[in-house]
Amino acid sequence: MTKTELKNHKIVSANEWFEARRQLLTQEKEFTRLRDQLSQKRRELPWARVERNYVFNEPDGKMSLAELFEGRSQLVVYHFMFAPDWERPCRSCSFWTDSFNAVVTHLNHRDVTFVAISRAPSEKLEAFKRRMGWNFKWLSSGNNEFNYDYNVSFTPEALKGGAEYNYGKLADFAQQNDLSETDVSDLPGVSVFYKDSGGNIYHTYSAYARGIDILNTAYNYLDLVPKGRDEAELEWPMAWVRFHDEYNE
Amino acid sequence: MTKHITGTREKWLAARLELLKAEKELTRRSDELARLRQELPWVRIEKQYRFETDEGSAMLADLFRGRSQLLVYHFMFGPDYKAGCATCSTIADGFNGFAIHLANHDVMLWAVSLAPLAKLQAYKRRMGWTFPWASSLDNDFNFDFNVSVTEEQQREGDVEYNYQRGGHALEATEVPEPVAQNAAMAGTDVATYTRERPGMSAFVLEDGVIYHTYSTYARGLDGLWGMYQWLDRAPMGRNEREGVWWLRHDEYGKR
Repeated sequence: MTKTELKNHKIVSANEWFEARRQLLTQEKEFTRLRDQLSQKRRELPWARVERNYVFNEPDGKMSLAELFEGRSQLVVYHFMFAPDWERPCRSCSFWTDSFNAVVTHLNHRDVTFVAISRAPSEKLEAFKRRMGWNFKWLSSGNNEFNYDYNVSFTPEALKGGAEYNYGKLADFAQQNDLSETDVSDLPGVSVFYKDSGGNIYHTYSAYARGIDILNTAYNYLDLVPKGRDEAELEWPMAWVRFHDEYNE
Repeated sequence: MTKHITGTREKWLAARLELLKAEKELTRRSDELARLRQELPWVRIEKQYRFETDEGSAMLADLFRGRSQLLVYHFMFGPDYKAGCATCSTIADGFNGFAIHLANHDVMLWAVSLAPLAKLQAYKRRMGWTFPWASSLDNDFNFDFNVSVTEEQQREGDVEYNYQRGGHALEATEVPEPVAQNAAMAGTDVATYTRERPGMSAFVLEDGVIYHTYSTYARGLDGLWGMYQWLDRAPMGRNEREGVWWLRHDEYGKR
């Protein structure tokens, strides 16, 4: 772990700090209100009916999209980057996963079922899940179009022919993030679905790129410390992230 | 059948693109707030705080464990609680999973509570957590950072929390239902429960000197509470008309 330096920071009395902190608090409260408003707007989005019948693989068999709800009315899908020919999944997604793994049980008690979905075969997903000690449901979409339909996986043709990611051109995203075509066969995202009492399934929401930033709780913690995310000096922002069992200590 | 507005994928996409603009704006504001936090001046810590930890007595400087930044989650667990606060426990479920990433990015995360160490250890074992947790029973730490109040302060209403005096739900004369529910889940009465408050404080260690850089309380903790950010993206949102719906992770299905 390399450390960046913080030098010559302004040091003040407790009273002076209190005044500065109160000013910032006003802005923080404003932000909290805006976030609440945005959550409300998000719930007001129209829903689009899902017409396709997706079937996913898990080690013990198959599950349709409708079955994934497991009796609840809301389904959150984490699009975990793990392509079929990769030996291991994306490290950054694993970082996200470490922050939601233990939260899933609470979501389940608010009528939300939570699953991760990747293109890699379910045996690979299961083995990696065991290694990491995770316990959410992780399914393979290797045999269906789910990842392509929700814009988190891209065929070589799509990469050449104007594929879309985060509601814009994938080529622009790749260029902005200094990624080559082969780096973007799979990208991260979150999709949300609703199932009504008649069994109809609707797609309600998807977010990608920095839209899922706030769902990595660890980043919200880093946003409070003196050095912040502290990634500016790195080759790429998450160059410091390892699988949690691969840190040196 | 749903009463919600439904439409074609094209209609959904048009609405989603509008929302995306607002989301990007909020992300930028969040980045700006993080920058403003980093610009806050620091206050030198003059007091010598001694904590009880799994490794024995430790000073505040020891809690950094070689890192230059320290985050302390002020976990509500008073000496007379039967169990740690259930709400704090849902927050801890989240950071228990990623504290190791922070520790490898120059940030040491601890929980600190007023209850004696043996109580913290027993509860941590029950919950299966691995983050370090220190007792501040023998020092003024919790009182200095406004997350514990004395019975006298409570009686006289002389309480500062979230940078203001009085006015918070934890001080309301008519006890709000969520506070009463939380007190019951901690196995204590409301007065005892509300002598502890939740918060997060940040410190930095530079050339052997410790500085307090930041503290946040009340809804300032909202973004640090993993489950809420996910619920904010679900069609029914936080869906809390019935008040406190969560339990400790080992209590679901038991009642």
